[in-house]
Amino acid sequence: MFHSFVQILDHVFHFQKAKAHCDIPCGIYDPHQAQVAALTVVRMIDLMEGLAKREEKGSVAYDNSMSRYIAVKEEHAELTKHEIRIIWGDFMKGKKLDENPNLHDLVHQIMLLGSSARQSADREVALQLVDAVNEFAKIFWDVKGVETKTAKAPYAPSLEMVYPVL
Amino acid sequence: MFRFIKVTGNSLSPSYQEGDYVLIGTCSFFFGINVGSNIVFTHPDYGLLIKRVSRIHPSGDYYEVRGTHPQSVDSRIFGLIPKKYLVGKVLWHISQS
Repeated sequence: MFHSFVQILDHVFHFQKAKAHCDIPCGIYDPHQAQVAALTVVRMIDLMEGLAKREEKGSVAYDNSMSRYIAVKEEHAELTKHEIRIIWGDFMKGKKLDENPNLHDLVHQIMLLGSSARQSADREVALQLVDAVNEFAKIFWDVKGVETKTAKAPYAPSLEMVYPVL
Repeated sequence: MFRFIKVTGNSLSPSYQEGDYVLIGTCSFFFGINVGSNIVFTHPDYGLLIKRVSRIHPSGDYYEVRGTHPQSVDSRIFGLIPKKYLVGKVLWHISQS
Protein backbone atom coordinates (compact mmCIF):
# COMPACT_ATOMS: atom_id res chain seq x y z
CA MET A 1 0.00 0.00 0.00
CA PHE A 2 2.79 2.39 0.98
CA HIS A 3 4.72 1.28 -2.10
CA SER A 4 1.82 2.17 -4.39
CA PHE A 5 1.49 5.55 -2.72
CA VAL A 6 5.21 6.29 -3.07
CA GLN A 7 5.09 5.04 -6.67
CA ILE A 8 2.43 7.67 -7.42
CA LEU A 9 4.65 10.32 -5.78
CA ASP A 10 7.54 9.04 -7.94
CA HIS A 11 5.48 9.53 -11.11
CA VAL A 12 4.88 13.13 -10.07
CA PHE A 13 8.26 14.10 -8.57
CA HIS A 14 10.62 11.67 -10.41
CA PHE A 15 12.78 10.48 -7.51
CA GLN A 16 16.48 9.92 -8.05
CA LYS A 17 17.54 6.31 -8.59
CA ALA A 18 20.24 4.60 -6.52
CA LYS A 19 21.88 1.59 -8.09
CA ALA A 20 22.34 -1.51 -6.00
CA HIS A 21 24.04 -2.69 -9.13
CA CYS A 22 25.50 -5.99 -9.91
CA ASP A 23 27.78 -5.72 -12.91
CA ILE A 24 31.39 -6.70 -12.58
CA PRO A 25 33.19 -3.88 -14.39
CA CYS A 26 36.71 -4.96 -15.24
CA GLY A 27 37.78 -1.39 -15.96
CA ILE A 28 39.55 -2.46 -19.16
CA TYR A 29 38.46 -0.20 -22.00
CA ASP A 30 40.28 0.35 -25.28
CA PRO A 31 38.88 1.57 -28.61
CA HIS A 32 41.54 -0.35 -30.54
CA GLN A 33 39.27 -3.32 -31.17
CA ALA A 34 36.62 -1.01 -32.65
CA GLN A 35 39.24 0.65 -34.85
CA VAL A 36 40.54 -2.67 -36.17
CA ALA A 37 36.98 -3.88 -36.75
CA ALA A 38 36.14 -0.72 -38.75
CA LEU A 39 39.34 -1.13 -40.75
CA THR A 40 38.38 -4.74 -41.45
CA VAL A 41 35.10 -3.54 -42.97
CA VAL A 42 37.05 -1.45 -45.51
CA ARG A 43 39.40 -4.36 -46.19
CA MET A 44 36.50 -6.73 -46.87
CA ILE A 45 34.94 -4.26 -49.33
CA ASP A 46 38.29 -3.99 -51.13
CA LEU A 47 38.51 -7.78 -51.33
CA MET A 48 34.92 -8.00 -52.57
CA GLU A 49 35.61 -5.44 -55.31
CA GLY A 50 38.83 -7.22 -56.30
CA LEU A 51 37.08 -10.56 -56.46
CA ALA A 52 34.25 -9.18 -58.58
CA LYS A 53 36.79 -7.92 -61.14
CA ARG A 54 38.93 -11.06 -61.11
CA GLU A 55 36.73 -14.13 -60.76
CA GLU A 56 33.89 -15.38 -62.86
CA LYS A 57 30.59 -14.70 -61.13
CA GLY A 58 28.59 -17.79 -60.31
CA SER A 59 31.59 -20.11 -59.94
CA VAL A 60 31.87 -22.08 -56.74
CA ALA A 61 35.16 -20.33 -55.88
CA TYR A 62 33.56 -16.92 -56.40
CA ASP A 63 30.51 -17.70 -54.28
CA ASN A 64 32.65 -19.19 -51.55
CA SER A 65 35.02 -16.22 -51.29
CA MET A 66 32.33 -13.58 -51.69
CA SER A 67 30.12 -15.09 -49.01
CA ARG A 68 33.08 -15.26 -46.64
CA TYR A 69 33.98 -11.59 -47.24
CA ILE A 70 30.38 -10.52 -46.71
CA ALA A 71 30.10 -12.55 -43.51
CA VAL A 72 33.29 -11.02 -42.10
CA LYS A 73 32.16 -7.52 -43.11
CA GLU A 74 28.84 -8.07 -41.32
CA GLU A 75 30.53 -9.39 -38.21
CA HIS A 76 33.08 -6.58 -37.97
CA ALA A 77 30.62 -3.76 -38.63
CA GLU A 78 28.55 -5.13 -35.75
CA LEU A 79 31.67 -5.59 -33.60
CA THR A 80 32.55 -1.94 -34.21
CA LYS A 81 29.13 -0.88 -32.94
CA HIS A 82 29.34 -3.23 -29.97
CA GLU A 83 32.76 -2.04 -28.82
CA ILE A 84 31.81 1.63 -29.11
CA ARG A 85 28.55 1.05 -27.24
CA ILE A 86 30.41 -0.60 -24.34
CA ILE A 87 32.92 2.25 -23.93
CA TRP A 88 30.22 4.88 -24.36
CA GLY A 89 27.79 3.20 -21.96
CA ASP A 90 30.15 1.95 -19.28
CA PHE A 91 33.14 4.29 -19.34
CA MET A 92 31.92 7.67 -20.58
CA LYS A 93 30.02 9.03 -17.60
CA GLY A 94 29.50 12.25 -15.65
CA LYS A 95 32.31 14.73 -16.12
CA LYS A 96 33.70 12.83 -19.11
CA LEU A 97 30.42 13.44 -20.92
CA ASP A 98 30.14 17.04 -19.75
CA GLU A 99 33.58 17.77 -21.22
CA ASN A 100 32.68 16.13 -24.55
CA PRO A 101 29.18 17.34 -25.38
CA ASN A 102 29.36 16.07 -28.98
CA LEU A 103 30.01 12.49 -27.90
CA HIS A 104 26.38 11.33 -28.04
CA ASP A 105 26.06 12.61 -31.61
CA LEU A 106 29.34 10.96 -32.59
CA VAL A 107 28.28 7.60 -31.12
CA HIS A 108 24.91 7.85 -32.87
CA GLN A 109 26.73 8.58 -36.12
CA ILE A 110 28.92 5.48 -35.60
CA MET A 111 25.80 3.36 -35.02
CA LEU A 112 24.26 4.62 -38.27
CA LEU A 113 27.46 4.20 -40.26
CA GLY A 114 27.97 0.70 -38.83
CA SER A 115 24.49 -0.26 -39.97
CA SER A 116 25.01 1.28 -43.40
CA ALA A 117 28.31 -0.60 -43.72
CA ARG A 118 26.42 -3.84 -43.10
CA GLN A 119 23.63 -2.99 -45.54
CA SER A 120 25.84 -1.89 -48.41
CA ALA A 121 29.26 -2.47 -49.97
CA ASP A 122 29.92 1.26 -50.20
CA ARG A 123 33.60 1.95 -49.52
CA GLU A 124 32.89 5.62 -48.80
CA VAL A 125 30.55 4.64 -45.96
CA ALA A 126 33.20 2.30 -44.53
CA LEU A 127 35.81 5.08 -44.69
CA GLN A 128 33.44 7.40 -42.84
CA LEU A 129 33.02 4.69 -40.21
CA VAL A 130 36.81 4.46 -39.74
CA ASP A 131 37.04 8.27 -39.44
CA ALA A 132 34.24 8.43 -36.87
CA VAL A 133 35.75 5.61 -34.80
CA ASN A 134 39.15 7.34 -34.94
CA GLU A 135 37.52 10.52 -33.68
CA PHE A 136 35.97 8.52 -30.84
CA ALA A 137 39.37 6.95 -30.05
CA LYS A 138 40.96 10.41 -29.92
CA ILE A 139 38.32 11.60 -27.42
CA PHE A 140 38.74 8.39 -25.38
CA TRP A 141 42.51 8.84 -25.02
CA ASP A 142 42.11 12.57 -24.33
CA VAL A 143 39.75 11.70 -21.47
CA LYS A 144 42.36 9.25 -20.15
CA GLY A 145 45.02 11.98 -20.41
CA VAL A 146 46.98 9.94 -22.97
CA GLU A 147 48.60 11.69 -25.91
CA THR A 148 47.72 10.35 -29.37
CA LYS A 149 49.37 10.27 -32.77
CA THR A 150 48.03 9.59 -36.24
CA ALA A 151 49.84 7.00 -38.36
CA LYS A 152 49.08 4.69 -41.26
CA ALA A 153 48.00 1.20 -40.24
CA PRO A 154 50.87 -1.19 -41.02
CA TYR A 155 48.57 -3.46 -43.03
CA ALA A 156 46.06 -3.10 -45.85
CA PRO A 157 44.08 -0.94 -46.33
CA SER A 158 46.79 1.25 -44.71
CA LEU A 159 44.44 4.00 -43.56
CA GLU A 160 45.36 6.75 -41.13
CA MET A 161 44.59 5.61 -37.61
CA VAL A 162 44.71 7.23 -34.16
CA TYR A 163 47.10 5.48 -31.77
CA PRO A 164 47.89 6.21 -28.12
CA VAL A 165 51.45 7.31 -27.38
CA LEU A 166 52.23 5.07 -24.40
CA MET B 1 16.60 16.38 5.45
CA PHE B 2 14.50 13.52 3.97
CA ARG B 3 14.41 12.18 0.43
CA PHE B 4 12.79 9.31 -1.41
CA ILE B 5 15.09 7.25 -3.64
CA LYS B 6 14.14 4.43 -6.01
CA VAL B 7 16.27 1.27 -5.97
CA THR B 8 17.56 -0.21 -9.23
CA GLY B 9 19.70 -3.35 -9.65
CA ASN B 10 19.86 -6.43 -7.49
CA SER B 11 23.06 -6.11 -5.51
CA LEU B 12 21.21 -5.90 -2.20
CA SER B 13 18.76 -8.65 -3.05
CA PRO B 14 16.94 -10.36 -1.47
CA SER B 15 16.63 -7.53 1.12
CA TYR B 16 16.16 -4.81 -1.51
CA GLN B 17 14.63 -5.52 -4.87
CA GLU B 18 14.62 -3.51 -8.06
CA GLY B 19 11.72 -1.04 -7.88
CA ASP B 20 11.70 -0.71 -4.08
CA TYR B 21 11.82 2.77 -2.55
CA VAL B 22 13.79 4.04 0.42
CA LEU B 23 13.36 7.12 2.53
CA ILE B 24 16.77 8.50 3.45
CA GLY B 25 17.85 10.98 6.06
CA THR B 26 20.42 13.30 4.58
CA CYS B 27 21.86 14.64 7.82
CA SER B 28 24.29 12.01 9.16
CA PHE B 29 24.82 14.11 12.29
CA PHE B 30 21.23 13.36 13.36
CA PHE B 31 20.84 9.87 12.01
CA GLY B 32 24.26 8.33 12.76
CA ILE B 33 25.92 5.74 10.51
CA ASN B 34 26.76 2.38 12.08
CA VAL B 35 27.94 -1.00 10.83
CA GLY B 36 24.85 -2.55 9.24
CA SER B 37 23.35 0.80 8.21
CA ASN B 38 22.24 1.01 4.59
CA ILE B 39 23.57 4.16 3.00
CA VAL B 40 23.16 6.01 -0.27
CA PHE B 41 26.29 7.65 -1.64
CA THR B 42 27.62 9.11 -4.88
CA HIS B 43 30.62 7.35 -6.34
CA PRO B 44 32.49 9.36 -9.02
CA ASP B 45 32.59 6.39 -11.41
CA TYR B 46 29.45 4.45 -10.56
CA GLY B 47 27.01 7.25 -9.70
CA LEU B 48 24.40 7.05 -6.96
CA LEU B 49 24.67 3.72 -5.11
CA ILE B 50 22.97 2.05 -2.17
CA LYS B 51 25.05 -0.37 -0.07
CA ARG B 52 25.35 -1.69 3.46
CA VAL B 53 28.13 -0.45 5.76
CA SER B 54 30.32 -3.40 6.74
CA ARG B 55 33.05 -1.50 8.57
CA ILE B 56 33.80 2.05 9.61
CA HIS B 57 37.40 3.23 9.43
CA PRO B 58 38.76 4.12 12.91
CA SER B 59 39.08 7.76 11.78
CA GLY B 60 35.32 7.78 11.13
CA ASP B 61 35.95 9.36 7.74
CA TYR B 62 35.62 6.27 5.52
CA TYR B 63 33.10 3.48 5.14
CA GLU B 64 33.62 -0.01 3.82
CA VAL B 65 30.44 -1.04 2.02
CA ARG B 66 29.11 -4.36 0.76
CA GLY B 67 26.21 -5.57 -1.31
CA THR B 68 24.54 -8.74 -0.11
CA HIS B 69 24.67 -10.32 -3.55
CA PRO B 70 27.91 -12.30 -4.15
CA GLN B 71 28.55 -10.49 -7.45
CA SER B 72 28.00 -7.04 -6.00
CA VAL B 73 30.30 -4.20 -6.97
CA ASP B 74 31.31 -2.72 -3.62
CA SER B 75 34.38 -1.82 -1.55
CA ARG B 76 36.05 -5.03 -2.74
CA ILE B 77 36.13 -3.39 -6.17
CA PHE B 78 36.22 0.36 -5.54
CA GLY B 79 37.75 0.59 -2.05
CA LEU B 80 36.59 2.63 0.95
CA ILE B 81 33.97 5.34 0.58
CA PRO B 82 34.96 8.78 1.93
CA LYS B 83 32.37 10.36 4.20
CA LYS B 84 32.06 13.28 1.77
CA TYR B 85 30.45 10.91 -0.80
CA LEU B 86 27.59 10.15 1.61
CA VAL B 87 24.14 11.30 0.52
CA GLY B 88 22.10 9.78 3.32
CA LYS B 89 21.16 6.88 5.56
CA VAL B 90 18.22 4.62 4.76
CA LEU B 91 15.54 5.21 7.39
CA TRP B 92 12.61 3.44 5.80
CA HIS B 93 12.56 0.67 3.24
CA ILE B 94 9.34 0.60 1.22
CA SER B 95 9.23 -2.83 -0.33
CA GLN B 96 6.95 -3.89 -3.18
CA SER B 97 5.89 -7.05 -1.34
